[in-house]
This record gives sequence, structure tokens and C-alpha cells, in this order.
Amino acid sequence: MFGEMSVLASVMDILIPGSGSGKAIMAAVLLGAGCGLLGCFVVLRRVALMGDAVSHAVLPGVVAGLIYSSERSPGIIFLFAAVAGLLGAGLVRLMMMSTRLKSDAALGIVLATFFAFGIMWQSRNQQDTVGVMNFLFGNIGSIDASDLRMMLVTTSILVVTMFFLRRPLLLLSFDEGFSRGLGYPVKILNGVFYFLLTFSVVVALQAVGVVLVSAMLITPAAAAYLLTDRFERMMILSVVFGVVSGITGGLVSAEVNGLPTGPVIAISATVLFGVIYLFAPRHGVLSKVMRTLRRRMRVRRENTLKAIYQIHEGEGFAHEEVSVLMLARKRGQTEENVSKDCKALLSRGFIEMAEDGVSLHLSRLGWKRAMEIVRNHRLWELYLTNEADYAEDHVHEDAEKIEHILEPGIVRQLEQHLDFPELDPHGKPIPQPAHLVAQSTVTI
Amino acid sequence: MNDEQEPALETHDLTVTYHKRPVLYGIDVAVPQGSLVGIVGPNGAGKSTFIKSVMGVVPSSGGWVKVFGKPMRENLHRVGYVPQRESVDWDFPVTVMDVALMGTYGGLGLLRRPGKAEKLRASEALDKVGMLPYSNRQIGNLSGGQQQRVFLARALAQDSDLYLMDEPFVGVDAATEAAIVTLLREMRERGKTVMVVHHDLQSAGEYFDHLLLLNMRLVAFGAVQDVYTPELLQKTYGGRLTILSEVADQAAKL
Amino acid sequence: MSTLEYITLPWEVLGVGALWLILMAFFVALPCSQMGSFLILRRMALTGDAISHSVFPGVVIAFFITGDLASPWLIVGAGLAGLASTVIIELIHKWTRVKQDAATGISFTALFALGVVLMEVLLGKNVDLDLECVLHGRLGLLLEEDQVALFGMLVPVPVLVMAGVSAFTMLLMGLFCRVMMLSSFDADLAASYGYRPAVIHYSMMFVVSFIVVAAFQAVGAILVIALLILPGAAAYLCTYRLKVMLMIAALHALLSAVGGLYLHVWFNSNMAASVVVSGGVLFLLAWLLGPVDGVVWKWLKAEHSALEESSDEDGNS
Repeated sequence: MFGEMSVLASVMDILIPGSGSGKAIMAAVLLGAGCGLLGCFVVLRRVALMGDAVSHAVLPGVVAGLIYSSERSPGIIFLFAAVAGLLGAGLVRLMMMSTRLKSDAALGIVLATFFAFGIMWQSRNQQDTVGVMNFLFGNIGSIDASDLRMMLVTTSILVVTMFFLRRPLLLLSFDEGFSRGLGYPVKILNGVFYFLLTFSVVVALQAVGVVLVSAMLITPAAAAYLLTDRFERMMILSVVFGVVSGITGGLVSAEVNGLPTGPVIAISATVLFGVIYLFAPRHGVLSKVMRTLRRRMRVRRENTLKAIYQIHEGEGFAHEEVSVLMLARKRGQTEENVSKDCKALLSRGFIEMAEDGVSLHLSRLGWKRAMEIVRNHRLWELYLTNEADYAEDHVHEDAEKIEHILEPGIVRQLEQHLDFPELDPHGKPIPQPAHLVAQSTVTI
Repeated sequence: MNDEQEPALETHDLTVTYHKRPVLYGIDVAVPQGSLVGIVGPNGAGKSTFIKSVMGVVPSSGGWVKVFGKPMRENLHRVGYVPQRESVDWDFPVTVMDVALMGTYGGLGLLRRPGKAEKLRASEALDKVGMLPYSNRQIGNLSGGQQQRVFLARALAQDSDLYLMDEPFVGVDAATEAAIVTLLREMRERGKTVMVVHHDLQSAGEYFDHLLLLNMRLVAFGAVQDVYTPELLQKTYGGRLTILSEVADQAAKL
Repeated sequence: MSTLEYITLPWEVLGVGALWLILMAFFVALPCSQMGSFLILRRMALTGDAISHSVFPGVVIAFFITGDLASPWLIVGAGLAGLASTVIIELIHKWTRVKQDAATGISFTALFALGVVLMEVLLGKNVDLDLECVLHGRLGLLLEEDQVALFGMLVPVPVLVMAGVSAFTMLLMGLFCRVMMLSSFDADLAASYGYRPAVIHYSMMFVVSFIVVAAFQAVGAILVIALLILPGAAAYLCTYRLKVMLMIAALHALLSAVGGLYLHVWFNSNMAASVVVSGGVLFLLAWLLGPVDGVVWKWLKAEHSALEESSDEDGNS
């Protein structure tokens, strides 16, 4: 048996880098993998604060491990820490099941009392303050080969378990009731989840420290959540972000002497999150703002087109040209503003300006779009009045908003529903842009 | 200041979106004083939301609300609110009397404590619903019907002019249900206006004198005999206006 | 040592200092116990945790500027940091699909990390504010602080300051207890009376920040959460009446202070941690024996009614 163990040890030793920075990078990779994977579930199950509680709860285990293993054996420390973490998680559940206390109180109680117990115990055995500090605030530089070996083993167990159980765990996270109905052993799966959570905490302990481990469980996964809608991709991205944060944090804190690595890693992860928060293509805040702005511009353009159409309609479509002044009056705005709107319409090909620069007329595209808007408006008013029994004085406001967002499919439904009407509730004709395609001239 | 002619509640174009879902769309209604109104509609029609948005608990994205002719903010004290039982924290360390006393807090301001007058009002309210003997019980320790009565007592203690009640008949025993109906009628006799979100269509026709038919939009409002008709009920319950809800969905996401 | 000697040990070792230690711990724990009770009722226990972590960078910056841990500017710094934290949380969960718990976690871990980095970079090896202080405060060093003569006795200054903070908080509690109770139980009803939920919420958060900063010097940033939650949680298991709950929480604060002193002296362990552990033991007692929710009583009651039922069946045949 020892023969196989030593073969295993030699295999692992191949994986472990010789240099200090190599070791740091590997530690970052392992912590990124562990926390990144579990973090996805933590974020989706909305148990972020549970992660915080478990991570604080491991402290007494760490202290016990440091006290009772003379050569600072990582195996003992990891084992005791894991036991403490699991004990904490178990106590939280026990508290919630046996009393009226809710989850937030139970988590806070376990978090604080376990942590205090760890501090108290450590203060009795003053020996290894530096060692404890490394575990509290992280010191990636203090990770040696034997630590890495332990982390490698733990992460492998974690990754393999996650791989085999990813579907049941995902289903459980999404819909516990449904999982129960399928006959999944929900209690056991939940137990496994907390096991894995504790392992991921333990892997990250030396690099990030007890106090800030929960940052690595939450922030990279949340960043991934903003970038994708697919769970597999979320897990991969989360791991990548965890690794990047770990490496960045390790590198930066190496520059400053005496700075614990945990906070720097946490800040790196947050900065990364911040960048994604702003710039993520669909869910990022800036892209949402851009979308809103673009939509507002479009609405403005369409309202201008509508105004031009209405001027024409008011004159019985007698003239081809419309002057900027008339448009300004119709829209109730200054000529300057209206000129700007016209420029926008011009660049998109909706209108053509005459040589004198004062009057303009609609292009074919412009006619089509103007008619569509007016049609949408009047169709919607008719629908609200007839089908939804809205008061007549009401419908105009609503149609002003809706005319810009009616999609062709819905328009067709409306036309069919209302039996291809010709007049709106106020007696105005409903334009038929389709007719425009058949005609070769612009005037009606 | 003649406000006898003012409707107890008036809304105009009240629109509410909740988490980018349209829930209420352009509600226009004027409820005359002294009416006993049942608010009915299918599940998810926005009945609770209607009450909550009137109270200002849920923000509206359009329209306005007036109570006795004034904006809600100015006449808050004239409105009594009875919430859904499922939204209450039954583990909270308060007794039946504590809850009834809460109804008197409105007139007390920030610093004054409830005195003899308030305690009397609370006791009378509890007596009216038959819960006075339970004054010292913690509220989690009661049956569904008893819990509902305690909240009714609280509303009575408020001595408001307009009452908004959210599904008070859910999960109560028959005796409590009858008692509540009697109580509501008594309140109407005293000139109060009561609006009740009700889940059961059949009894709605019997309990109330006005009905508000709601399905994301106002389908109809009026006296029971005018509005409790097959056509209108079909319009309310027979599936949503699909186009309206699709479009409202789109609009809400903006 | 005999049992009696164990009991008198603190007074022998520390003299009147034992009294100051107990009082200091009590004056810190008392306001925490009262506000913390409401945090529990509002299910915001972990917001308290978030606040205690988030205010840290504000404290560091204020200390860097004033050089004085007792300066009132620390409260300002903490308040601003707390405000920043709330803003960040709202920005995240209101504007993206990340939910509130994750947003809270992102915010307070980032702020706390920032605080630690600022502390190391700006303050370097500072005796008054270092990592140890962050972890468990300086309660045990109370007797080395400046003292002031009062009524013929020499009282450590922090004790007087904390007594003031405590009195002020208790005054606020007395005035606003009713409103807080109403708003915590039924925010909608409170809103209908004109007590807007947002105003109540932010006021409470501000008071919690104030207490947390005051407690920071004594017990550090992480153990504060214990002082906030343990008394209220223990009391919650003992009674159904709010006023009684608040009184039991206060009693818990006192007993934790006393217990903490004894543990500190018997085991030569960190004072703040000892107070918390002692509070934890008291909570354990409440969990087992609490009249309302205690596990032992409930088990006994279940046995008792099971017995009653079986005898009932025999009786009514």
C-alpha cells in the first residue's frame, strides 16, 4: 500500500512547481477552481451569507490544527477545519429546525460564536500568532509544497464530485420540490453540497484567509452570472475569474511588503466584477443605458416622422414639401431642435432636403415608416376602445407610448382581430403602408 | 369643505409594473362613499396589487389616486388597511391586544404612548369581533379564523372611513366568515366605505353591493345587479386579452 | 484552588479593574443587544454583519486623518462608509440580476478588504489600529487606558464614553420602541400611518453603524455581530412579549460581560472573545431550556401531551 501511496506522491510532486511564484500561481488556480465552481451554486441558491458563515466557522478547526500538529501538517489543519465547517453548517440547520429562529439569525450566531471560540482558543496558546494570521488574512507566499499537495487532493475530490453530481445539484438548486418529486435524496444532496462548500473554503484558506474567503465564493461567480445564460459557461467563467483574481492579487501583494494577500485578491475579484458590471454585453449597466438612449433617439425620430405625416394629412396631401418652420410649430419646439431632428432623419434616408434648405419631403422609406407609426397608433386606440373598453380620452396617451413598440406580428393580429378596420375611434383613416409598395409614386 | 359628494376612492389611469411585469394597466375608477365593494378577478389579475398601489405600498408607474378628493398622502389617516394573512410574521412577539392597539397608533404621532382612551378603543374593537378573552395570547397561537378577527379588530380600532381588505375570507371557518360579513354590513350602515379583495366569485354576488371586476385592466365597476352578469364575468375570467397582455409585457420591459 | 477561590479570582487579580472590565463590556453589549433584537425581528441579522465589515474603511481613513481612535470623526467616516455600502448594494441588485444576498456579500467583502489594505498602506505598523485590533478589539487592554477621577474613584475614560453611548442609545430605544415595533411587524400599516419604511430602515442602519463604531475599539470588527445577535436570539427563545424580550436581551448582555471576565481571568484568553463565548454558552442554555422555544421544554410538552392522549383514548371508549 505504501508503494502506491509513494507513487501517487511522486506523481503529485511532478505537478507541483518548484519556484515560489509557480507555487503561488498553482494555489491561485486551485482556489479559483474550488471557489469558482461552488460559488456558482452559492450565488444561484442565494445562500451567499451561508458561505460567509461556513468560512468563519472553520477558524477553531484551523487553530486546533495549528496547535495539535507540531510540524504544521496541512493534512491535520485541513481536516480539523473541514470538521469545524461542517459542524457549523450542521448547527445552523439544527437551529433553524428546532426553533423559530430564521436563517439569518442562525447563520450569524454560528459565524460569530465559532469565530470567537477560535480567537479565544488561540489567545490561550499564544505560540503561533503569525501562523494564525496567515490563515485569517491569507498569505499566498507561505504556501509550500506540502500545502499544495493537500490543496491538490482536496480540489480534485471537489472537482470530480461536482462533475458527477452537477445535474442533480443543479436541479436541486433550481427547484428543490421538483427534485424531491423525482425521488432525489434531497437531504443527502444538500449534505454533499455543504461538504463541497467546506472543502472549497479550506482550499482557499491559506491564500485568502478565513475573513475574506466568502468574497471568492461570491464575487467571481456573480461576475460570470452577468456574462452568460448557460450554466456550464457560468461555471467555466467563474473558475477563470477566480484564478485571475488569485494571480493578480498574489502578484500585487508581493510588491508591497507585509500586506496580506487575502484583501488584495478580494479587491482584484471586485474590480473584475466592476468591469463586467459596467460593460457586460447584455446584462451590463452601460449597455442597458446605451439601449435606453438609443431607443429614446428612435422614438424622437419616429415622432418627427409622424408630425410630418400629420401635416400632410391636414392639408389633404396637397403639397409635397413641408417647411422646417411648420414642423417646428407642429411639434411645439424651436426651429433649432427640429433642424437637429431633421438631420438625424436625413442621415438615415427618411427625408430629403430641398436645395433651399428650408423645406423637406419624405422619401419612400420615410413615408412607409411614418404610415406605420400612425397606423400603429390608430389601431391601438381602436383596440383599446373596442376590446378593452377604455374611455376615449384615455387611449391617446397610451397609444403615444405603444405606437413605437408594436411589432409586425402583433400588428397583424390586431388587424385581424379588429377585422381590418379603416377608421380609428376619432374617425381618422388608418393608413395602409402595404399599399405604398404597390404604388410607384409617392403622392397619394 | 363639502366632501360628502367626493368619491371615497378615485383612481385615474393607474398603472403598475412589478419587476418588469405589467400588473395593472390604466385603471380608472370612482367608488362612491358608503359602498361595500368586492374586488374580483382571476389569479394574478392584480387585485392585491390594486389595493397596495392605492395605499402607496407598491409604487405606480403612471396615473394618480385620490381618497375623499385629496391625494392619498394627505388623507392617509382616513384609510384602514387589512393585509393578507400570509404576509404576517406569526412568530413576532406580540399579543392580540398589542395588535389591536396598533390600530390606534395613527393618531398618536411619533412619541406619545397609547393611553386609556386608546386601550378602550382597542378593547371595544376586540370585543366586537369576539376576541377580547384572548387579549394576552401571542398571535401565532391562534386559529386562522381567530387571526383574521384580530386584524379586523385592528382595522376597527383605526376608526377609518375607507377600509381596504386583502382576502380576509381566505382560510377562515364558516362562523368567522359569517361574522365578518355581518361586521362589514354594520360598517356600511355607519357610513364607512369598504373594499374587499375577494377570492370566491359565488359569494361575491351575495356579500357586496358593488363589484369591481379586474383583470389587469378594469373590466367593469358598478352595482352588483348591473355588473354580475354572464358576459362581464366571462370577460373577466375567460382568459386575458392576449394582445393587451403581450403588448403590456413589452412596454413593462422598457 | 477551591470553588470559592475561583469565584473571587478576578477581584484578587485585578482589583477594581475587574469592575471596569465588566462595565465596559456591558456598556458595549447593552445597546447592541437592544438594536440587535430588532435586527433579528426584521430578519436583518446579517445586515448587521455587513455593516460591521463595511464601516471599517471609513474608520481607517478617519483615524488616519485624526490619529485618535476616540474621535467623533470616526463615526462620520463610518457613516459615510456605511452609506457607500448601501449604495453599492442597491446599484448591484436593483440594476442587474444579481440578487440581494450576493450583492451584500460583494459589497461588504470589498469594503472590508479595502479597509485592511488602507490600514496596512496608510498606517503601517500602528499600535492603536492593526490587524489584531480589527479581529478582537482592545477590551482586554482597558486597564491601560487613561483614567479620570469621578466621585473619588479613578475611572477609565473609555468606560465613561461607552456609558454615554449606551445611555444615548437606550434613550432612543425608549422613545422609538413603539414605532420600530410597528414598522418591523407590519411595514405596510406603519407606512399608512406615515412612517415610511425607507426612513425607518435607514435610521436604524445609521444607529447600528453608530453602535458598531463605538464598539469597534472594544471588540473589533468581527465579534460585534455576536453582541448584536446573541442576546436577542437568546431572548427570542425565552418569551413571547417584545418588552420582556428586550429586557432579557439586556440581562444577557450583563451576564455575558460577567462570564467573559471570568473566562478571561481563568483561561488567560482574549477578553472580547471570552465575552462572546460566554454569550454563546448563555444562548445554548436558552436553546435548551428557554420557556418558549427551548428544546427540552418542547420535548417534555410533547411527551406530556402524548401521555394525555393515550390516557384520553383509554378514558373515552
